[in-house]
Amino acid sequence: MTDPFLAIADPSRRQMLNLLSKESLTINSLAENFDISRPAVSKHVKVLYNAGFIDIKNIGREHYCILKQDGFDELQEWIDYFDNFWGSKLKKLEALLNNKLK
Amino acid sequence: MKRDIIQRWFFEQRPEIVWEFLTDPELIAQWLMKNNFKPIVGHKFNFYSKPKIKFGFDGIVYCEVLEVQPYKKLAYSWKGGPGNGKITLDSIVTWTLTTKKNGTELQLEHTGFKGIKNYFAYLAMNKGWGSQIRNRLETLLLNNMKEIKK
Repeated sequence: MTDPFLAIADPSRRQMLNLLSKESLTINSLAENFDISRPAVSKHVKVLYNAGFIDIKNIGREHYCILKQDGFDELQEWIDYFDNFWGSKLKKLEALLNNKLK
Repeated sequence: MKRDIIQRWFFEQRPEIVWEFLTDPELIAQWLMKNNFKPIVGHKFNFYSKPKIKFGFDGIVYCEVLEVQPYKKLAYSWKGGPGNGKITLDSIVTWTLTTKKNGTELQLEHTGFKGIKNYFAYLAMNKGWGSQIRNRLETLLLNNMKEIKK
């Protein structure tokens, strides 16, 4: 699984997610919005797919990119991780400071 | 469950003492992590901890001091990644100390996650998002908007 932070660190990929948040698009119609080669677009799509941000559905002969929640869940995990991290560290600091008072 | 990383703590000590615990490497190591911090803007330093494979983190936090206002404010960048100089987490930690009647209020902000910030700005502008996603991340978004305004 690709790191979701890495996945959204690239501006083209963020732009792709932005476009896909409005409507599901085929890889071809997604590619029309970018000045990069079709294989390069496919590569970005693959990264987003591996990070869990999108799903790819085959309808007829077209591959549609559809937003998915997993990538967001993992971002949330990070945020929660750091919130807990700081909470426990600051608790330690509090104990240290209180020790100093005595 | 909290969605943002802003924490406010109250300590019974004066800001001068709390400041010492934020800026003296030996004292910092006692509650946070081993480090080679110096309270000088532009100083590059590291925090050292255990690697967290699940999060693609090699155990070293790469930092640079961004702001030093003695007894009031301290900010540094906070970067990390899976190793080999690859950075996947690019963020900023800001400490703000406020003098109170019987002590000090210490505020921690961990923000500016690169990529995320722009990304949540998109979220805000978009009506296409499902309300579920929007609600889940609303607080985080507000947090990031605040930072954009600064």
